[in-house]
Amino acid sequence: MSLPMEARNELEQVITTIVDRYQAKPTALIMALQDIQRQYNYLPMEALRMVAKKMSLPVAQLYGVATFFKAFSLTPKGKNHICVCTGTACHVRQASVIVDNLARALGIEPGETTPDGEISFETVNCLGACALGPLLTLNGTYHGNMTVPKLNKILDKLRAKEPVEEIAEEVE
Amino acid sequence: MAQVSITIDGQSIEVEEGSYVLQAAEQLGIRIPTLCYYAHMAPYAACRICVVEAWDGKGWTKIVTACNYPVWDGLQIFTDTPRVISARRLNLEMLLSRCAPAPVLQQLMDELGITEPRWGIGTDTCIMCGLCVRMCDEVVGAHALSFSNRGIDREVSTPFKLESEDCILCGACARYCPTGHIRMTDRDNPILHSELILGPNAAISIPFRQAIPNVPRIDPDYCIHMATDGCMLCSKVCPKECINYEEKDEFEELEIGAVIVATGFQDFDPTPMHPFGYGKYPNVLSALEFEQMNNAASPTGGRILMENGEEPRSIAILHCIGSRDENQHKYCSRVCCMYALKFAHLVKEKTNAEVYQLYIDMRTFGKGYEEFYQRILTEGVNVIRGKGAEIVPALPEQSGEGNLLVRCEDTLIGKFREIPVDMVILCTALEARSDAEDIARKFNISTGADGWFIEAHPKLAPVSTTTEGVFLAGACQGPKDIPDSVAQGTAAAAHAIRLCNMGEIMMDAAYAEIQEEFCSGCRICNGLCPYNAITFEEEKKVSEINPALCKACGTCVAACPSGAIKARHFTDEQIYAQIEGILAS
Amino acid sequence: MTNHKLNTPEDLNRLRDLLAKQRENGRTIITVCAGTGCLACGSEPVTAAFRKAIKEAGLEDKVEIRTTGCHGFCERGPLVVLRPEGTFYQRVKPADTKAIVEQTIKNGQLVKKLLYRDPQTKEIIEKEEDIPFYRKQMRLVFGKNGYMDPTSINDYIALGGYQALAKALLTMTPEQTIDEVSKSGLRGRGGGGYPAGRKWASCRRAKGEPKYVICNADEGDPGAFMDRSLLEGNPHAVIEGMIIGAYAIGSCNGYVYVRNEYPLAVKNLNIAIAAAREHGLLGDNIFGSGFHFDIDVSRGGGAFVCGESTALMASLEGKIGEPRAKYIHTIDAGLWDKPSNLNNVETWANIPLIIEKGADWYSSIGTAGSKGTKVFALTGRVNNTGLVEVPMGITLREILYDIGGGVPRGKRFKAVQTGGPSGGTLIVETRDSKVHDSLVAHGDIKKEDEVVSLLDLPVDFDELTKVGSMMGSGGMIVMDQDSCMVDVAKYFLNFLQEESCGKCLPCREGLRIMLEILTRISDGKGEMKDIDTLEEISQVMIDTSLCQLGGSAPNPVLSTIRYFRQEYIAHIVEKRCPAGVCKALVSHAIDETCTGCHICHSACPTNAIYGETKTLHIIDQEKCIQCGACYQLCKFDSVKRVKRGEGDRIQRIAKEKWQPLAKKQPAAAA
Repeated sequence: MSLPMEARNELEQVITTIVDRYQAKPTALIMALQDIQRQYNYLPMEALRMVAKKMSLPVAQLYGVATFFKAFSLTPKGKNHICVCTGTACHVRQASVIVDNLARALGIEPGETTPDGEISFETVNCLGACALGPLLTLNGTYHGNMTVPKLNKILDKLRAKEPVEEIAEEVE
Repeated sequence: MAQVSITIDGQSIEVEEGSYVLQAAEQLGIRIPTLCYYAHMAPYAACRICVVEAWDGKGWTKIVTACNYPVWDGLQIFTDTPRVISARRLNLEMLLSRCAPAPVLQQLMDELGITEPRWGIGTDTCIMCGLCVRMCDEVVGAHALSFSNRGIDREVSTPFKLESEDCILCGACARYCPTGHIRMTDRDNPILHSELILGPNAAISIPFRQAIPNVPRIDPDYCIHMATDGCMLCSKVCPKECINYEEKDEFEELEIGAVIVATGFQDFDPTPMHPFGYGKYPNVLSALEFEQMNNAASPTGGRILMENGEEPRSIAILHCIGSRDENQHKYCSRVCCMYALKFAHLVKEKTNAEVYQLYIDMRTFGKGYEEFYQRILTEGVNVIRGKGAEIVPALPEQSGEGNLLVRCEDTLIGKFREIPVDMVILCTALEARSDAEDIARKFNISTGADGWFIEAHPKLAPVSTTTEGVFLAGACQGPKDIPDSVAQGTAAAAHAIRLCNMGEIMMDAAYAEIQEEFCSGCRICNGLCPYNAITFEEEKKVSEINPALCKACGTCVAACPSGAIKARHFTDEQIYAQIEGILAS
Repeated sequence: MTNHKLNTPEDLNRLRDLLAKQRENGRTIITVCAGTGCLACGSEPVTAAFRKAIKEAGLEDKVEIRTTGCHGFCERGPLVVLRPEGTFYQRVKPADTKAIVEQTIKNGQLVKKLLYRDPQTKEIIEKEEDIPFYRKQMRLVFGKNGYMDPTSINDYIALGGYQALAKALLTMTPEQTIDEVSKSGLRGRGGGGYPAGRKWASCRRAKGEPKYVICNADEGDPGAFMDRSLLEGNPHAVIEGMIIGAYAIGSCNGYVYVRNEYPLAVKNLNIAIAAAREHGLLGDNIFGSGFHFDIDVSRGGGAFVCGESTALMASLEGKIGEPRAKYIHTIDAGLWDKPSNLNNVETWANIPLIIEKGADWYSSIGTAGSKGTKVFALTGRVNNTGLVEVPMGITLREILYDIGGGVPRGKRFKAVQTGGPSGGTLIVETRDSKVHDSLVAHGDIKKEDEVVSLLDLPVDFDELTKVGSMMGSGGMIVMDQDSCMVDVAKYFLNFLQEESCGKCLPCREGLRIMLEILTRISDGKGEMKDIDTLEEISQVMIDTSLCQLGGSAPNPVLSTIRYFRQEYIAHIVEKRCPAGVCKALVSHAIDETCTGCHICHSACPTNAIYGETKTLHIIDQEKCIQCGACYQLCKFDSVKRVKRGEGDRIQRIAKEKWQPLAKKQPAAAA
């Protein structure tokens, strides 16, 4: 992927800021990548190459790390991101019903994004709010005691591009 | 380091504390199978095939991997208990459910007695041993490969599955991959005629069979250590520790009595001859390239193949490319007709291709040469008397017979012809080496107008030069084939030996002399002598002429401002006398 | 800018006294739980509403609003506790704040509807400490959560924080510190149970510089959030523990590796570290002792395997989280091949207590082999979901029933899963006849043998290990009769397959093959020999896996087979899922208890449910895809999960028997 000069310079500046924030320490590699992903909604290949250069690490190592950890995506995530908790406690409270229905409604599997780029969804192995299971997060906001009718309401609102009523505040 | 005492399958051995079980077993001759182990890298312990049972002799027992379990005093190891065997078998069965049975897996199957793996046989060729990645990381130091994803999705790949920018093309990953999952392939076309190399192409090899000394040498252009500061596997395995990466070229000074110059020839580069399309169109070869391809040691194994890896349907052999040419070399290169006929014969022998031989004259002067030519004619070779004029790409409608078109005049039938062929061989001229003049200067000999070294007498002294003690042999004196080169070489050797036996040389009576008392030490003559015969004597501060080198050309005589140099038998008085004699008659 | 540095212990004492004076003015403190659980229930709007109400009532001088970390009783959030009285209000909504301010704060009257009502005795309980959930707990490590704002170092100091650090640094040698921890009997709380003092001593002895002190906050077990709540609610306790540990071992560099999914924990931890640095408690020459130490926070990227110590260290080094052989311990060669001491969050949080109150005090709590308290996350099919801290030696029955309040909606208890997906085992009611039969069939016991119920065993590292079970890191997931054990095993294997790093053969291929087998079984395509195969693969995985992810992955499979063998047999032979979970073996049908409430109708993704409001509803057996949405929603338990093919029969009977009733009560309201 070859970027036009302007985009390249802009990316370089962002990367430099982020790498400097952590003094290019390898112990902060994952945090640096998380910052980059938060900015661009995924990890662009050029960004990874630049990080490798700035941190004096082989590109192959960066690629391995970016594909090993579930937090990272090398393809753009959807504008809206749904995480369904599939931890044991939520599983016992039938989280699979939510996962299956969501997959069916969106027509994609966990880990994928809808073709129009609007919604991506994935499963997470515990959000730590087990009293509210089954639950999911929508763009970081928790929605607990999830049922299929509630899920359908959320999807309707998303599709109509209306704000989804929050049951809880954002954590991040 | 302390030594400890351990037993493996009942046999005792003393080994260094902290070393691994696998090495101790090797010393005892006990084989423990492995898949992901390589002696000169850190153990990875991923395949779990080398598991053994460790026992402390009392109550504790544990299954451990032999490749990286550090020994301790009193350790007892068992390599084939039922628990160990069933673990190896089940692990292999599970691996086979995903992977095709490469030879290394087949061997394990045979050893463990697995004929019908319970979960079938898969098709993957990567067994996840990690040898390639670790080789690239730890030994080579290029870091071009890595593991990506995890779990059942784990795979070996280059970053982003694109060509790795860090790969130095050393081939170590392909070399050590036990299943052939990683291969080296040529990037564009399978065959690039201009890059076929004969013989070993490893970074460390004996250059050729007759090399002196007959030991391997490191080619710094391909050595991984020179590129990345890593590897050094050769020095790890050499039992005599002969590898020295720091060795540099040395310069020695020797005193020599006789020199045989046998510097050979250079193959003419037909690239500037644009009509022939060498370097422009594929499958237009020089004679040497074709010769290399035919050699059994070439990458094609001696097969005649086009760039796309297929056999040609027809070949044209063009004589006199660069020879007998007003614009290139006017001389005849002597050897081309014969090797061109040889090529025709090889093509007929190895392929079903049609051969077109385009010649001006057939020079078949030697023993059996004319007879060979007659034989070629019987083999169905199409001989056309007319030098090939132009090579162009064939038109689409002609591509059924050939991709290139040879344009020529067939003088025997008086017609212009366009012949579609798949491959063209240019019989390139032999020419003097580009550094021939340099060598001539060093050894005080001369080159002719055509670049070849000049012999003392074209008929009577073909191996001597005008410089005593310097002899010629082989093609450097003029194009010649192998029997003639051998004859000339023998003759030159005989001359040289005779000289060495005599211990003295005969000099010409005519040479120049410097009269010391008149020499002012100006040194003008030093640089003027074309034979480097004049040197400056530091202590006496006068110039000196070496009579053995002097050819009595008279340049220094004329140049000396003090008139200190006289040529013997060519003194001014003698010359005046001769002039007077001529004028008188 | 004022200099906050505490250069000596005297400075610390002075500050604490000052804070005590400032706070000792009869103010009421409204503590609002702002742990992730209560935040998810909407505690932030509650806090905002309180601020508004207090301001409007003009009580800013008399009342402090303090957001705290997790109080533990997550089931009842958002939680509000008024201190110092201890008045406990549950499920508080923003609209309720006005009532609380008017009635309780101004007039000392209780808002009855917000108080806890005991489900058994039906009585209302005012004070936190009287609530059964809290009564049997011993909240030594967790207790401070309910009293302090985690972002305020002053709160921590006011409660006595950093005194232990001063004591260790200035009155004890490193060796004495290690001795004290060893004497206390503290064992690792991450699940391993390795004696902490012994680990520290080994690390101190190990050769190599620099030494590293690491806090493993990669709490990957689903259903476990103890470490999360500790880091969110009381990060200073962990920090103080690490400084003391580093001093004992001789390390100047510490790392906290926090799981990717815990952003609030990272935030509060960073705030705490910055505050500690500002006060000179981290950095050079702490308390003038000459000891230097600092902590860096690092985050995981979403990989359960990074909870394993060598994988964690690989990830810290900027590499993928691949474990390596532990024949050479990380104590000797860990992070960057240097001696590294890794402990769990809860372990570190215990250290200040031990140093402050002494090993003798600490070892008086708990059992002979397991000292102190343990924090458990009680989740799943239990009434009182939340975090509980109990002394070692309490029985599971007490945790489940006395503290947990038993299984909701009158369902029958089936099993408790402890120890997470890897290494986790089931703890069951071994006196249950079905379980007893399974044990006999498995060859564990003879038919006439009497067994002690596992539920009556004391929770203790060794007692549970003796019976092939384990305490684990603290996750406790309760399952009732609606859980299928084959499905549970399948769930765990699926989880582990996704989390396996893939390096070693037995784990990578073994999990895949075992999952295939279990999927076949739950699809009704199993064979009897599958059970033997599962056990065979399990043995090889236990023997030959490189790390404990693979090494203990078979445990859920093995323990479900051991205690619930008949369930497997029912799936294989009868093609029936007794718990009604496995989709391929189940039909959903509505019986005669249906009230016609019509809720299931809109939930059905394939429009397979027919019926008008207040009439008997019917599920079209052809259209139904067994997604379970209706089962999840029906408050009357009218949706039944029966053996595949039985649906029509159930619905035929329902049609005959159904009567419209004037009023029906939902079954066993929670």
